[in-house]
Amino acid sequence: MSAQEVDKKIEEGIKEAFPMTDTMDWNEVYQRIIYRYSTPHGLNHVKEELYKLEDKGEIIIHHIKPYNNPVKMQTLNGFPKVIPTTRLWQHKSCGQCGHIPGYPTSVFWMMNKMEVDYMDEPHQTSCTGWNYHASGASNPVALAGVYVRNMWRAYEIDYFPLIHCGTSFGHYKEIRNMLVLHKEIREKLRPIMRKMDMDIVIPEEVVHYSEWLYTMSKKAAQQRKYNLNEVRAAVHTPCHVYKLVPEDTIYDPDVFQGRRPAAPSGTVQNFGAKLVDYSTWWDCCGFGFRHILTEREFSRSFALFKKVIPAVEEGKADVFVTSDTGCVTTLDKSQWAGKAHGFNYNLPVLADAQFAAIAMGADPYKIAQIHWHATDVEGFMRKIGVDVDDYKEKFIQYLADLREGKAEPEYLYKPHRKIDFYLSVPERVKWYKGEGQKSTSSK
Amino acid sequence: MAQAKGILQLPDDPRFLDMAYDVQGPVPEEERNLLSNLNPQDREIAIKFWESVKSDFRFNEYLRGCLNCGVCTSGCPAAKFYDFGPREMIQYMMRDEVDKIWEFTNKKVWACVQCYTCSMRCPFNNEIAGLIMVLREYAVKFALPSAKEILAPYRRVLYTVLTMGNQVTPDMIQPDSFPDWGPQAVEESKNMDVYRKAIPVDLMQRTDIGWHPSLQTAVEMMTIMIESGVMDSLKGVDKDLYDMIMDIYEERKSQLEEIKQKWEKGELDESELPDSWLDL
Repeated sequence: MSAQEVDKKIEEGIKEAFPMTDTMDWNEVYQRIIYRYSTPHGLNHVKEELYKLEDKGEIIIHHIKPYNNPVKMQTLNGFPKVIPTTRLWQHKSCGQCGHIPGYPTSVFWMMNKMEVDYMDEPHQTSCTGWNYHASGASNPVALAGVYVRNMWRAYEIDYFPLIHCGTSFGHYKEIRNMLVLHKEIREKLRPIMRKMDMDIVIPEEVVHYSEWLYTMSKKAAQQRKYNLNEVRAAVHTPCHVYKLVPEDTIYDPDVFQGRRPAAPSGTVQNFGAKLVDYSTWWDCCGFGFRHILTEREFSRSFALFKKVIPAVEEGKADVFVTSDTGCVTTLDKSQWAGKAHGFNYNLPVLADAQFAAIAMGADPYKIAQIHWHATDVEGFMRKIGVDVDDYKEKFIQYLADLREGKAEPEYLYKPHRKIDFYLSVPERVKWYKGEGQKSTSSK
Repeated sequence: MAQAKGILQLPDDPRFLDMAYDVQGPVPEEERNLLSNLNPQDREIAIKFWESVKSDFRFNEYLRGCLNCGVCTSGCPAAKFYDFGPREMIQYMMRDEVDKIWEFTNKKVWACVQCYTCSMRCPFNNEIAGLIMVLREYAVKFALPSAKEILAPYRRVLYTVLTMGNQVTPDMIQPDSFPDWGPQAVEESKNMDVYRKAIPVDLMQRTDIGWHPSLQTAVEMMTIMIESGVMDSLKGVDKDLYDMIMDIYEERKSQLEEIKQKWEKGELDESELPDSWLDL
């Protein structure tokens, strides 16, 4: 079946399932259908309690300020969610920095390009959620301690935390709720934080970078360099982004009629690519936390049979776009082994940030670092008109020069001082953002 | 179902639960004792384990009720590949089935992939994947053999996360341990040094860590793990790893204190510090 026939069939299917789809005011429907996520604590949203605790002096809230240029979005239960768009503290992902480095660098590059103020610091740990969900070797107080310690580092320099990893995002939402709803956790945590000269600080919102990217996507797409009209993109929305504490993820009537999370589908849409559907859109990627490291026969099979094959066979996808560490890794790395059994799909897999950065003209190797991907990302780029061979030749030369000491590494922002690798000194922002010390950028 | 000699015959297959019994609800304690296949020693631990799980502050919040509708298992990725299903667990929990919970924890609980599809779909709003995490946490706390077995290939990851706050390292991708990731992984591991150098962020240029944390951050991470009791749990599962991390903690803590004091007094000469404390 050709791609056009598939599209036609999907359109017919939608018409049959929703006969009033053309005349319906989806905004109004969306407002009426409120998924009221009940908690045994009788709250509409945990934020109600959050503000009460602040009034009582039990916690400090890191508020979103006007200078964060906040934008109001919608969540599943009708509650607004405020997305800060600048002055952001980068909460990096361990898996991204370890194995998909082009993921965070694409975020930084886009921020440079859009003149967004941010800080990326060595004073951050991962959320430890990957370890927790895989091994169970942690406990609520420890998880809360890790969360609050990271949040404190952002709070003390007044940069609002932006969470890169989907698991960190879901996990932090859960820990935030736990901290707010359970006094016993706060009581156990407080003396630990005091030992480190910190207190319990909770940001007003837990914000995933994909939400920031979606919020900024229309503006970013104005700087698009390549035309994506012919691209058929399948999206995998990461489970921990919208299934773990579902009430705190943004939805938009413009994206799948508000029936699926706004990011990253909306970003792909706003960049002009065609969103394609497939029956297992809601399914997990197969990452499994423990499985991707020590039980990969599961991850491989699930990623291939439940995600990649349906996306290609049903949606005729050219590219798989997703927005989490584990999903990019699993979907990208699980396809090669399929060849041994005759399943040669090689569907390019990209994070939404890489997808957007490439479309905006980022260097695919120096910035999007696509050489860390196992699937045919180069083929995808050729399709949209990127001069892959030229970029590649220059990058290979750059690598050779780096190896021989003929070139110095290029940086997206000014490298840290030596002391920053030892202590988190309070005046670090002043030094970093000081006059005449503007960051060098490889835009 | 017929009762033989006054003892309720429980079929092993959870699909028959609810449909098959004359008597509904939890089985009385004495009957369950008679039916137990566990030896008395194991049963004692099983009861302690289950009582601890039930007394956890999250238990009643996460377990709210069960229609036995099976929506959780029908959407479960792990159920498609393993002898595992969230409904089975919830039913055992609802029925206070200590033996079955014990068996589930030892044989099945590690199959879950933690995608939270069950939690989001559950009509009762049970936090099912969260309940699985409670079982796993207590399995580690009780140093159950299944937990030890699961954590054995995980030592390096635990070491990295507990001492530096990073879960994975770039150089863990080696061709012999990740052959299924294809020729790209071989290429990466061969050229890891220069590939990392070509990442345009100074924090991400090492091969042995995802990003370079500050010494203070690493010490604070270990402080949290020690003070919150994570290290105590680890002691039962992997004593050697525990000892190693505690030694590292003491050493790094004193390094940090020395540097901090010098900095506060204005006596620190930055040029004398090594480029990275990781090389100390």
